[in-house]
Formats: sequence, C-alpha cells, structure tokens
Amino acid sequence: MARQYELDDDTVVVVIGSGAGGGTVANELAQKGVDVVCLEAGNRLTLADVVNDLVVMDQKMGWHDKRLGAPLWICKTVGGTTMRWSGVTPRFRDFELRPRSTYGALADTTLIDWPLTLEELSPYYDRAESKMGVSGTHDMPPSFETSNYKVLKAGGQRIGYKQITSARTAINSVARDGRPACQQIGFCWDGCAVGAKWSTLYTEIPKAEQTGHFELRTGAMAMKIEHDAKGKVRSVVYADADGTLHEQKARAVCVAGNVVETTRLLHNSNSSLFPDGLGNASGHLGRNYMRHVMSLTLAVMPGEVNFHKGTRQSGLILDEQRHDPDRGFAGGYVIETAADQPYGIATYVGGWGEEAADFLEHYSQIAGCWITGEDPPQAANRITFHATERDAYGLPVPVVEYSDHPNSTAMRKHADQRCGALYASLGARRIKSVANIGHGCHNMGVARMSEKPADGVTNRWGRVHDIPNLFVSDGSVFPTSAAPNPTLTIVALAIRQAEHIAASMSRREI
Amino acid sequence: MNQKQLARRRFVVAIMALSGAAGTALNPQLSLFSRAWAGSPGQPDEGVLAAMVRMARLLYPHDALSDEVYADILDRALSETAAGAAFAGQLDAAAAALDARAGGAWRDLDTAAQVEVMRGIESEASFVAIQATVQFGVYNHRDFWKRVGYAGPSKGFGGYLHRGAGDIDWLPEKL
Repeated sequence: MARQYELDDDTVVVVIGSGAGGGTVANELAQKGVDVVCLEAGNRLTLADVVNDLVVMDQKMGWHDKRLGAPLWICKTVGGTTMRWSGVTPRFRDFELRPRSTYGALADTTLIDWPLTLEELSPYYDRAESKMGVSGTHDMPPSFETSNYKVLKAGGQRIGYKQITSARTAINSVARDGRPACQQIGFCWDGCAVGAKWSTLYTEIPKAEQTGHFELRTGAMAMKIEHDAKGKVRSVVYADADGTLHEQKARAVCVAGNVVETTRLLHNSNSSLFPDGLGNASGHLGRNYMRHVMSLTLAVMPGEVNFHKGTRQSGLILDEQRHDPDRGFAGGYVIETAADQPYGIATYVGGWGEEAADFLEHYSQIAGCWITGEDPPQAANRITFHATERDAYGLPVPVVEYSDHPNSTAMRKHADQRCGALYASLGARRIKSVANIGHGCHNMGVARMSEKPADGVTNRWGRVHDIPNLFVSDGSVFPTSAAPNPTLTIVALAIRQAEHIAASMSRREI
Repeated sequence: MNQKQLARRRFVVAIMALSGAAGTALNPQLSLFSRAWAGSPGQPDEGVLAAMVRMARLLYPHDALSDEVYADILDRALSETAAGAAFAGQLDAAAAALDARAGGAWRDLDTAAQVEVMRGIESEASFVAIQATVQFGVYNHRDFWKRVGYAGPSKGFGGYLHRGAGDIDWLPEKL
C-alpha cells in the first residue's frame, strides 16, 4: 500500500523526520487523505534488530554526525527518539502553560506564556494517550508495579506525598493495538524488544503506509528548504544515502528533526528574502534551547530490590509538579523511578576504591529515582554553527551552547534533599545524588511558539510566523519546558497541527 | 601460540608473582615464555604487570573477583590492535609514577599505603585511563554480575515478568 511520489509532485506535504513529532504529523495527515512524503535521515530497523545491549543499539541507531559543545543523546533512525525514550508521559499542568503569568519576570530568562491553554490542549492529550496506549488512562490499566516502584511508593508515602502512580507510561499494560503487553524485559531505554512501548517505527509509520497516502524515504538527509518569490516554501533538497542530491516539491513542509537539525535546516535555508534563515525575523531561531533539570538519586536499601528486573521507569510522584516559590525556585519537577546496569551505576557513583566498590557490591539492594524539572528559557542557551568546520554532508558543524540557570541549581538541591529523605525514611544505608545525568534527551525550544511574532519563531499552530506553509512539528516549538517528559505533549501538538494543516488545505489557504 | 595467547601467559606469570608464587612454584615453561616476551619493545615487563594487576584490584576491590579477572581486563585492553600500544605505555607510566611517589617499590607497601600513593597520582592521565578501563571491565564482567545477582539481558528468556519483577520482601508497608 506504500505509495511512491514523483519528485515534481507539488501536492504532497513533505515531513522531515519520523519520530514523535514527524511520525505522528505524517500519519495523522495520511489518515485524512493528505499525501505525505516523509524524509528520514536514518535507516529502518525491525523489532528483530533490537538487542539488550545499549552499545550495539547506539551503533545501530544513534546520531553520530559531528557536533560540538553539550552532547545530545538522540537517534538517527526511523522512529527517531521514540526508539530511545522512557515512555513516561505525564501531562503538563495549567500553570505550566502560563509560566510568565505565574512566575513573573524571572531574571536572565526569556520567559513567555504559551499561546494556547490547557483547556485547548486537553482533547489532544486524550487522543495522544489513546494513540500511544498510556497506562492508567482511558481503557488501559496502570503499569505493573516493579520493586523499584514499590520502594518509591512506600518512601514517598512516608514523607507525605499523595500523587504517586504507576500510571502514565506509554508501554502497553495489556495487549492492545496489535502490540503485546510489557514483559518487563528491561533495557527498553534503547528500543523495546517486543514493541510493547510506543514507537512511531511500528505504529504511526506502518499505519500511514496502509492509507496509501504516504511514502517513507530512508537515508534521506534534508539539506535545504527552497521558497518562491513570495516567500512560500515550494521544495526540499535532500541527500540520499549515496550523497546524491534530490529536490522534492511540496505544498507544505513540516520540520521535525529534533532541535539541532531543525535549527540547522531552517538556518541553512537562508536566502535574500530570509537572510538569517527561515522563521528568524525575530532572531529567536536556535535560541531558548531547553533540556530539563535532571538529577538522579541512588540509595542502598536494607533489603534486595533488583531494580534491573523490569522497565527502567515504571512510576511517578507528581506532588512537586507545582509552583511554590517558598521552595526557593520557580516551576516544578516530576520524580520518576530510574535504574541501570552495574557499569552505568559505577559511572554515576564515580570515584574509585573501597567506597565506590562497596556501593556496587550492594547492587541488588539499590533503588533509584530521578527528576525532570522545568528549565527556564535563556537566550544564550542556543544552537550555533561553526564558522569553518563541515560535517560529512558538507554542512556547518552545529555547536550546542548550554548552561544551568540559578533556578535550576536551586531546584536540583531541593529535589536531591527530597529524594534522599524518601529513601532515608525506609532506612537507606547509603544515598548518592548525581547531577550530571540524562542531559540532551529532552530537547526543546529553538523555534518556540509565540503570540507575538517578535517573541518567537512559530505561531500557536507551530507554523513559522511569516511563512504560510512551513511548520515545525517537534519539541522545538515549546515556549517553555514545563516539568514533564516532552513526548506526550509533542504528540498532542502534532495531532492538533495535522488537523490545522488539513483544514487549511481544504480551505485552500495552503 | 599467537601474540594474544603469549600476552595471556605473561599475565598468569604476573598474577603468580603477585601472590608470592614467583621464584619457587613458578612453572618453568611459563617463566620461559615470559622471559622471551618481557622487555620486548613497547611491552610492559613482569614487574609492571604485577603492579598493575594489584592497582586494578585496589581501584575496584571486590573479594569475589580473582586476580585473573583483573589481569584479564588489562590483558584485553593490551590486546586491542589500535589502542593496545598506547595502553601499554599508560601501564608503564602509572607503574613508574607509583614507584616514584612511593620512593621505592610501591608493590612492597601495605594496602593502606598503596592506596594513599594511588590518591597522589589519581589525576594523572595514565591513572585516569587505567581507572576507566578497569571500571568498564569489572562492572561488565560476568563474574561480578553473578556475585551481585545481576541477571543481565532478558530478551532471550522472555523478560523478568515471571522471573522476579516486582518481588520485594522487606518493605514495612503493605502496598
């Protein structure tokens, strides 16, 4: 049923990227009968390619093109980073879409409110949860309670938390939608071996192909978006796996390359009409890059936990997802279970000698959790491009500039104290906080949505402010990071955007 | 016997030296091999190897792991075609730095003193490189996994759902 489109077919919508944003917007459009060509830089794996070895999986699907500065932990493969994610899918709360109104002016930030409300987003959250099979929502039971979750729950209750749940994970808690229930294999951070965890690789992409309105081109690296004299985009130039350039005409274009590639593509598409890149009239393109405040707590408990037996992230505490300036910082954070293999734990614990070895000697007794917390937008946290260095495609090498805001430091301190108290309440023998973890998994903000064109890159639909048929469909459009893991919100926004694009097409506005 | 097997033999010699077996109970054939090899260009000598096996244990000391395990980790790093020569140089450099700081044979010090000398060189490049190698080797080693009950990849046996996931018996709360 998969279609093939001609390069000069200008009726197609070209979607760049096949992950949470691109894969979803592509399938949603195809389901409505819109013809879609999806360009994916990586290869297409199958479930048989998934092995329980993160080094091997990184070789198969990691993004290894040259980059400088802060590392990003993302994928070049069909499914994008839905092949490397926890599956944790809490919703944003009302205040998190109104951060500027709620927190006030936060020094050294570019804080703005979202140009849409939670009320407006909620129906799309419903549809995203249903699509992804989020546990504990709609018809799905909560997730299986792992031993690590049971420790989190008991300790959380002891220190007074009320919002503790094993729900809100996009891993099938029961067989559903042609995919099996979770078998607690573990290692699924780098690809679920049975397809129980939602990934566009085996949901949105094949579903789109079944419509007869969709073509996936793998090994296709988008190089430049071309526009006509009036400033409407008209085609995408891409390199195939052999490096040969092709130009696919388009009625509209959706960019979903994760923050670095989204920035680079819009930046490299500059022209006399758009000298600083597409969508960059405000100067905000590539700025306000956010990656969540993260911190890990590991504790040696009085008895065995064996947290490697099962999914890495299997439960949440949501009590700290609130704004309470008395805690000494703005915004909130979510506490989530976390686990790793012995070598991973050794690198987190750090150091050497008796003390480090003793922690690892008690591996079977370790419980763990980490936080993701709101990371305020800062203009200086940004993606830039090296003046002379070029990568294998001949494109300027991206430079990722990122540093913590003092708000993040204060939040991390609070979280470390709370998570430590949680495990101490159950008699933990040793507790270790690790700040340097997880960064570069959650990438947001470089093409943010804004009510006023001067404040951002895209409008409330993720459409580039001054270009009527160019959209951004990934986490780049987030005006703020909020606390929750971003994927559910990326998917909800992509469903909403597809509806908007299809309606605009029927009205002949695109 | 290929290069790798030869290198392996040299480690056996080093381990025996470490446990005080050298000289008396040493298999003459092994010592013959080691003499043929030791001191060849770019290769650490027996004394260096014995010291480095000792240092590897003190980096990540686990009683359940034999000296063979630590030797094996260094051996594998030395056998890597691309990085092996550089690693050999790092072993030499670290052994020399330990002796220099100890003001004599570091290996002859007691454990507490050995660790103290190691602290003194822990920021040196050779030490950092060896530490990373030993850390990776120890915590990915099947003997360590067995010791701490880490069962590893589970795809092959269908996951942990019916093999202990969720089992916990010491929590005071009824959940």
